[in-house]
Amino acid sequence: MGALVTLNIVLPWIAALIIYLAKKDVVTNVLTFLMLPLLSIIAYLAYIQPHPVLIETPKWVDLLITVYDFGLLAYFFYQGIVRKNSLIAILASIQLIFLVIVLLMMNHSLTPNLYIDDVTLMFYLIVAIVGVPIAIFATKYMDYGEKGKHSFVAIVVWFLGVMNFAVSVNNIEWFFALFETTTLASYIMIGFRGDKEAVNNSNLALWMNQIGGIAILLALMVFIKINGVYHFTDLLKNPSLISMAALGFLSLSALVKGAQMPFHKWLLGAMVAPTPVSAILHSATMVKIAPYLILRISPIIKGTLLAKLLIITTGYVFVVAAVIALSQDNFKKILAYSTISLLGLMMLGAAVGTPVAVTASLVLIIFHAFAKGFLFVEAGVLEKVFHVKYINQMRRLIERAPLTLMFIFFGFLNMTFVPFGTFIGKWMMIEEVSNFLQHGSYILLIIYVGAGSAFLSILYMKVLGISVRKAHGIEKINFVKLPATFNFVSVWYYVWLLSMTIFIAPFIADFVVPIAASIAGQADIYATGLTLHMYDSTLYFWQILGALILIFLIHALPYFVKFKADVVHPYNCGEVFPRHMETWNFECIARYEGYFVAFSIALFIMVVVLGGGLL
Amino acid sequence: MINVILTVLAPLIGGVVYGIERVVKARMQKRVGPPLLQPFYDFFKLMDKRPIMIHSLHALMGIMYFIAEWFALAVLLLGNDLLIAVFFHVIAVLALVIGASSVRSPYSVLGALRELMHMISYEPLMVLMVVALYLVVGSFDIRDVLNYEGYPILEIPLVFFAFLLTIPMMLQKSPFDVAEAHQEIIGGPEIEYSGPFYEALYTGKWIEYIYVFTFVFLFGGSHYWLGILLVVLAFLFINLLDNSSARLDFRTMVKFAWSVLIPMAALNVILLALWQ
Amino acid sequence: MGFFSKFRKKSPWILHYNTGGCNGCDIEILSALAPRYDIERFGMLNRGNPKQADILLVTGPVTKNCKDVLRRLYLEMAEPKVVVAMGACAHGGGIFRNFYHVENGVNNIIPVDVWIPGCAPRVEALIDGMVEAVEIWEKKSKEKEFLKDHENVIKTLGVEDDG
Repeated sequence: MGALVTLNIVLPWIAALIIYLAKKDVVTNVLTFLMLPLLSIIAYLAYIQPHPVLIETPKWVDLLITVYDFGLLAYFFYQGIVRKNSLIAILASIQLIFLVIVLLMMNHSLTPNLYIDDVTLMFYLIVAIVGVPIAIFATKYMDYGEKGKHSFVAIVVWFLGVMNFAVSVNNIEWFFALFETTTLASYIMIGFRGDKEAVNNSNLALWMNQIGGIAILLALMVFIKINGVYHFTDLLKNPSLISMAALGFLSLSALVKGAQMPFHKWLLGAMVAPTPVSAILHSATMVKIAPYLILRISPIIKGTLLAKLLIITTGYVFVVAAVIALSQDNFKKILAYSTISLLGLMMLGAAVGTPVAVTASLVLIIFHAFAKGFLFVEAGVLEKVFHVKYINQMRRLIERAPLTLMFIFFGFLNMTFVPFGTFIGKWMMIEEVSNFLQHGSYILLIIYVGAGSAFLSILYMKVLGISVRKAHGIEKINFVKLPATFNFVSVWYYVWLLSMTIFIAPFIADFVVPIAASIAGQADIYATGLTLHMYDSTLYFWQILGALILIFLIHALPYFVKFKADVVHPYNCGEVFPRHMETWNFECIARYEGYFVAFSIALFIMVVVLGGGLL
Repeated sequence: MINVILTVLAPLIGGVVYGIERVVKARMQKRVGPPLLQPFYDFFKLMDKRPIMIHSLHALMGIMYFIAEWFALAVLLLGNDLLIAVFFHVIAVLALVIGASSVRSPYSVLGALRELMHMISYEPLMVLMVVALYLVVGSFDIRDVLNYEGYPILEIPLVFFAFLLTIPMMLQKSPFDVAEAHQEIIGGPEIEYSGPFYEALYTGKWIEYIYVFTFVFLFGGSHYWLGILLVVLAFLFINLLDNSSARLDFRTMVKFAWSVLIPMAALNVILLALWQ
Repeated sequence: MGFFSKFRKKSPWILHYNTGGCNGCDIEILSALAPRYDIERFGMLNRGNPKQADILLVTGPVTKNCKDVLRRLYLEMAEPKVVVAMGACAHGGGIFRNFYHVENGVNNIIPVDVWIPGCAPRVEALIDGMVEAVEIWEKKSKEKEFLKDHENVIKTLGVEDDG
């Protein structure tokens, strides 16, 4: 196990280094492509090993990471001075001071520093299957008039290694180091193009994520001071004694990393970078640290005031981000808002903490990773091949980019419709919450989930509606030849999503439920054949298949079905001059955005102050 | 058994219901009204028209709407989870909206966008209603609801009332026939369909009647007479409302749903949860 | 003439279009829909949508601005379809005859099947005309009908697709 984990972590780092140094097309392409089978196989081999396991690390690694931490923070401080951004510099110096304090307080612990359990292994698989294709995509994407292809791909691959490392650590001080490393990676990638906007947005991402770092350090201080422990596994040993304040700070860092409002701006800012950056940030890495962190502490916070406040906050973000997304016109921004929204739902499930809710959260993490990776890859294709960035440029996309539109259609359907994973997550959540309605009052949560999914549905329908708009017949469908790399990545995601959806019942019952069981206990979910059962409710296979066929027909059939009927003009009151109808921009919502954010700040403060018991 | 019959014959029964509705509406206006089987005459007439279309995608989506609507009804009646049935209905809306916004006719696109507004008005409420039924019965299974000994309507009257006012949104009845709005945007999503393709939409609407009134029927629990009574009363109430009210703005509709209906239903659910 | 054709006469749907008349005829049409005459008992509905209508009920003398609109509405209707010209204006211009801005009646633009005379015609006359229109409509086939100079008309009335 130790060797496999080491390989999983070190391999991307080495590959990234080679790519960075070689700067040759052949090396870059072959190595990134090799990562896919290599990482997948290693992750799978690790998955079939007995787990969970704790892995001892040599002492020098600890020392190395401490030194690395100081180097990293010093680099941030330096960047703050170079970029003349006092906020970054101040935050970095605060972190430096806090880190020194933490290191002085830290007593020696015998607990190993690496902890590999089901969640970690699930993340390994996600990183390998979802993350690596994005790197492959980046190798071609960067050929379209972008500079610094090799260093970019190197950073992307390296990021995967960082993510693999981040989800396997047990020591929270190490976790801090890796948390800051992901910050660094996103900082470099967002600022990659080096123009003014990129620099501004990378600064934004840096200082916002540094707040998360400070929160982790504060949590560490409290943990060490009150409980004398600083490992995740030690926290779980006697949950009742753990200080709420520290958990509040940890949740705060999760909220920041998960781009929950009011800290959502940095994730939106990430869209100025090349599209693979967004793909990698949104799908497999970075933001997924947020639900990961909440999942880690979910057995401890379950049922506390902190969990309830987290539920209220993340649920609020789930709805409001979906609402605000309606008023956006940039395709990548829409995707970013829907990520923020669904991240809220994932964290909500993790915060509820019951077996079914945790299962729902994991299902959402997995399917969201696939669908978002897919959608951003297609957004990249749209941007580079078809030069489409805004949704009002998406008109007649069905003729210009039929395959890409079909993939986008499928990705969107995956985000909210029956019978895809995201829907199953919501369904589980509603049923689970209805369960405890009998004991307490979680009515707000039901309204959140119901409303949020309705808003997300109308968001996707609105965008899809524009891209199929057409006055006359759809005859001149123009199958543009796309580069093989793009096609490979698209089809890869498409096939994975499709097959996972068909076998969703065994997938959830045999893969996800055991993972949830390791966190929160066995959920009452099982599969008979391809039918999914949860408590008394059943999602029959004929329903899954029927919905899948319907959805499949809706998104793919228009290219094949040609009715032999006469074509007439669309009704225009009989007038001859053309009338255009754009789509609503929901200006009325944009007006209230300030209020939404203000309210989310209030909720945020409530989580820290009330939930953490600071008052 | 009866649910299988109801599912298979849904378009027929829905057509009769629609015929009754047209007669009832006419009688409310002191008119004679069309014959009871008028919807079927319309159906046959439309079969006999020359098929014309804007483009294949648009025509296809009309047919998909019909199939998805029927499938949603099958899921409701033959499956065992009410919540899933609610979400299946969204697929039908998807087909309708994609079809309607795929043509460059202002009315059609406007209708599609308003259809979305309908969806955010009734969708959360449907979820709440199902959860309320779950609270009463203790199961999401439609069979358990129909075997429930008590009277769900007495335990969740406010939810029922909220749902009663949601029905006009789902069936496109005044005052909430915003998306269809025959005098204003001439049918909205359905404007560009003609002949056999319009048939799919026309029949899909009939199935929607069965879909909606099945939910009303559930409020009677195992007392089927009560369920039937509720369905009849709801039917008459909807038609009375349809005849006696003017169309509202879609903003008013959304505001009404979110500031009156949903809080009302939520209040009922909270009180019931505390009571138990 | 198939099985379905027998049911045609039971559900004629009307598209009503005023081409610039004085609205007298339109008031009569409205009163036909009202409880006193209630043409819905014959299954007639005023659809207001050419795609789903069977009978095009035209009033007014056809002003120059309306000419293309009228043609396009006619072309958008699916066969079998019938055109009913209602009122004196629709017949030959009525009191607007030979004005600079009128086309002197519907017949110059699209083929008319039934004429309803009067200024304005009574509702009874309207219903009578409708019954006659339905009789003609019953015998029509589903074949496509062409206007004079059809291809050119289509070209001038077509809407350019956006690029």
